Amino acid sequence: MSLIAEDIRVFYGRREALRGVSLRAEPGEFTAIVGPNGSGKSTLLGALTASLPYAGRVTLNGREIDGLQPWELSSERAVLPQASRLAFPFTVLEVVRLGVQAGTAGDRPEVPMQALARVGLAHYAERTFQELSGGEAQRVMLARVLAQVWSPIEDGRPRWLLLDEPVSSLDIAHQLQVMEIARDFARAGGGVIAVMHDLNLTAMFADRVAVLAEGQRLAFGTPREVFSDGILSRAYGCDLRVSAPPPVGTPYILPHAATA
Amino acid sequence: MAVITDSFIPPRDRVARARALHGLLAAALLVACALSLQIGATDVRLTTLLAKLAQGQDLSQMERVVLFDIRLPRLAMGALVGAALAVSGAVMQGLFRNPLADPGIVGVGAGAGLGAILAIVLGGLLPLSLAGLVGPYLVPIAAFLGGWGGTLLLYKVATRHGRTSVATMLLAGIALAALAGALSGVMVYIADDNQLRDLTFWGLGSLAGASWAKVLAAGPLVMLALAASLTLGRGLNGLALGEATAAHIGIDVQRMKSIAILTVAGATGAAVAVAGGIGFIGIVVPHLLRLASGPDHRTLLPNAALLGATLLILADVIARVVIAPAELPIGIVTAVLGAPVFLWILLKRRGMVDL
Amino acid sequence: MFCKAGKSGGFAACSGLLLSIFGALVPLNVSAQQSTGVPTPHADVLSIGGSVTEIVVALGEQHRLKARDTTSSYPPEITALPDVGYIRALSPEGVLSVGPSLILSEEGAGPMEALDVIRAADVDFVEVPNALDAEGILRKIDVIGAALDVPDKASDLKDEVGQALASAIGDAERPEAEKKRVLFVLSTEGGKINASGTGTEADAIIRMAGGVNAVTEYDGYKQITDEAVGLAAPDVILMMKRGGNHGADDDSLFEMPAIRLTPAAQTRSVVRMDALLLLGFGPRTAEAVRDLNAAIYGEGA
Repeated sequence: MSLIAEDIRVFYGRREALRGVSLRAEPGEFTAIVGPNGSGKSTLLGALTASLPYAGRVTLNGREIDGLQPWELSSERAVLPQASRLAFPFTVLEVVRLGVQAGTAGDRPEVPMQALARVGLAHYAERTFQELSGGEAQRVMLARVLAQVWSPIEDGRPRWLLLDEPVSSLDIAHQLQVMEIARDFARAGGGVIAVMHDLNLTAMFADRVAVLAEGQRLAFGTPREVFSDGILSRAYGCDLRVSAPPPVGTPYILPHAATA
Repeated sequence: MAVITDSFIPPRDRVARARALHGLLAAALLVACALSLQIGATDVRLTTLLAKLAQGQDLSQMERVVLFDIRLPRLAMGALVGAALAVSGAVMQGLFRNPLADPGIVGVGAGAGLGAILAIVLGGLLPLSLAGLVGPYLVPIAAFLGGWGGTLLLYKVATRHGRTSVATMLLAGIALAALAGALSGVMVYIADDNQLRDLTFWGLGSLAGASWAKVLAAGPLVMLALAASLTLGRGLNGLALGEATAAHIGIDVQRMKSIAILTVAGATGAAVAVAGGIGFIGIVVPHLLRLASGPDHRTLLPNAALLGATLLILADVIARVVIAPAELPIGIVTAVLGAPVFLWILLKRRGMVDL
Repeated sequence: MFCKAGKSGGFAACSGLLLSIFGALVPLNVSAQQSTGVPTPHADVLSIGGSVTEIVVALGEQHRLKARDTTSSYPPEITALPDVGYIRALSPEGVLSVGPSLILSEEGAGPMEALDVIRAADVDFVEVPNALDAEGILRKIDVIGAALDVPDKASDLKDEVGQALASAIGDAERPEAEKKRVLFVLSTEGGKINASGTGTEADAIIRMAGGVNAVTEYDGYKQITDEAVGLAAPDVILMMKRGGNHGADDDSLFEMPAIRLTPAAQTRSVVRMDALLLLGFGPRTAEAVRDLNAAIYGEGA
C-alpha cells in the first residue's frame, strides 16, 4: 500500500526530462519533491498521476496505474494542479462538488461544505469561482481535492493527495494552513506527495524529501538527512547554508549572498 | 461507466432553479407547439379542429392538409432542429471550454454547406437513375454526408496516439472552412441564376420544406444524439477544470470527447441537412440558460434541448406569418432576434467573466 | 449507466407528450386522407412567374387570379393581389391560404415538399414551360389557355401575339455586317461585371432584336473578367431598369476600367429596360423587341 515509482523516464521530444527516477512514498507520510526550476519535479508528478506518457512503472496501493481506468484512479488519489482556470462561472461549492462526485464520498452530502470549512472558505460557497483571488482559488481547489479523498483511509486502503506547488500563491498564514492540512491528512493514514519550492516549509512539514536535479534524483531521505549544504548547493547551483536552530532542530536554509 | 450519485447539499438555489426551469421550459415548449398548430397563413385553427373532433365532425380536406401535412411536420422538424442546434452548441462550448464555440467549429457547418452547394449546383449532372432515386432529398443527403465527412476529417487530423487535441481541431477547422469556402466559390461561379437563389435560400435556412419523410429521417438521429448528450453532463463539468484535471477526477476524457464530437456531428448534420443554415440558436440558448441557472451541464443540456426547440418553433411561427402568404427564411428571424440578445449578454457580462 | 431520472424527468415527460400528440394525430391523418374531394372548376388561380401572370391577364382572365408571386409585377394593378413569395421558396401554407384551386407556375417552383403538400390539398398544379423564342411564347399561351379552359381566347391571343412577334422580329432583322454587338450586364456589384453568355433570356432577346450577343464564350450569367469585356467589344451595354446596383448611373458605368475602352463607352451607348418586359418572354415580348431594336439602332432605324 505505497506509491512506488520505478525508473521513470520522460521525454519531451528528444530531451529527456526525467532520466530514470525512482521514488517510494508511504502512507502516513508527507513526501516532498524539491529541486531547482526545470529539474523535473512537476514532470515526475505528471508521471505519478498518469497525466503524461512515461517509461517505467508506477504502482499505487499495489496496482500498476497504467492499467487502471480514470474513475478507478480517481477514487484512490486526488491531484492538485499548479494553477487552475475554470471555463464557466461555476460557484465555489459547485467546484468542490466536482471533486466529491469523483471520489468515494459521493453519498455524503456534508463533505463539500466540510472541505470548504477545512480551508477556511465555507462563507465563500455561493461565490462564483472567477471572483476569487489567486490564493482563494488555490484553496478552493485544495478543498475540491480534499473532498475527493475525504477519508485518508477507506476500506483499509490509504488515499493519496498529489499536490503540485500547493502553497505557491498563498500568503504566509495560508501557507502554514495548507501545509498543516496536508500533514494532518498524512497523520490520519493517507499519503501525501507534494512538489515544493519553499525549502524551509518543506523542512518543517515533510517526513521525507526527494531532491531532483537535471532529471535525476540527487538525494532521498528525511529533511535532516537530505538538507545539507553540499546536496542543496549542488542541486540548486548556488551557495546555500543549512542550520538547525534549537530548540526543535528543524533544518533552516539561508542563501549565502555572493558579496563582492 | 461508473455509477454517479448526485446527492448533495443544495447550493444557493441554482439546482432548484435549474429544476424549476426544466418544468417551465417543458411547459413553454407545449405552449409553443400549440401556438404553432394554431397560427398560420390559413385560418385553420387547432382550437376549431379540437372542437370539430369533439363533436365528431369531419375535417375539410384543407384542414387536414394544413394541420397534418404542413404544420405538424413543420412543428416536429422545428423541435428537432432547435433542440439539436442548442444542445450541439452547449456541448461544443463545453468541449472547447469556450462560450463562443458553436458546432461550426468541428467542421460540420463547413462540410454540410459544401455538400449542399455541390448538390444544388452539380445535382443535375447525376445519372438519371440515381437522380430519380434520391430526388428531392439530394441536398439534405449531401449536406449530411458533407457534415459528417468534415467532422471525421478534422477528428482524424486532430487525433494523435489516441488523444484528440481540441486546439488542433479548432485550427484545422479554420483551414477546412477556408477550403470549403473556396470550393463553394467555384460552385457559385459555375452556378446558374436559379441555383444561386437556391444557395442563398439554403444558407438562410427554412422549415418550409418540412415533410414527414424528413422528420422520420432526421428524428432518430437527433433523438440518439440528444440521448447521448445526457451522458456528457458530468464529463463536460469536469472538463471546465481542464483536460488533465478532468482525467484526475475520473473522467475518461478521450471517450467523452469522441462521444461529444459524434453527438454534435450527428445532431447538427441532421439539423442542417433538413433545415439549412440556421444561426444563433446554438450560441444564444446555452448562454441564456447559464445566466438563468448556472453552467452545470447536467441540467444545461436537457434544458438547452427544451429551450432550443421552443425558440425555433416560435421563430418559425414568426417566419411564416409575418409576411404571409409569403414567408421569411427562418435564419433571418433567428439572426434578427438572436443577435441583439447575444450583444446584450456580452454587454451584461463584460468585465465580469473573461470569455 | 447514469442516474438521471430526477433531472431528465421533465424532458422525458415532455418528449413523451409530444410523441403521443404526433402518435394520436398521424393515424388520424392517414385515415382522413382516404376521403378525397371533388374536381374543381378552377375559379381561383394562383399565378407564379411574371410572364404567366401577364398571359392570364392578356387572356382576359385576371378576375380569376387570387394571388401572385414576387416576380409578377405587370400590369401594375396586379400588385394589389397577395404575394406568396419567391417561386423557388414557396410556403405551402401560404399558398393554400390564398385558396387556389389551380396553380399556374413557371418552371422551377419549389421546394418539392411544398408542391407535394399543395397537390395533396386537391390543388391542381400546371407547370408552364420556359420559352426563349416566339414559338415558346405561343406554347405558354396554349398551356395556360388549356389550364384555364379558354381555348378560343388562347387561340386569338396566339394569333395576335404571333403576328406581332413575327413582324417585330422581321423589322428588327438586318444584315450580319450591320449588326451591333450588345453586352447584357446583369449587375456591376462591387465593380465586378456579371454579364450574360449564351442560352439566357438576355441572349435570346438580343438576337431577336437584331443584335449580336457580345459574349458567347460561356453559358448563363457569370462574372466576366475586365479584359474579356474589352475583347467582347460591345457597341451597346444593355442593363435592367431596377433599383440598387442595376441602376448604376452612366458616368460610373463608363468609368469602369473594363468598360471604358469599349466602343459602347466611346459613344456612351447604354440601354436600360424593364426587366420583366425585356426578359419575361410573355405577351409583351414583341414590344420588347421593337423597343430594344430602336434603342440599339436609334429611333429612326
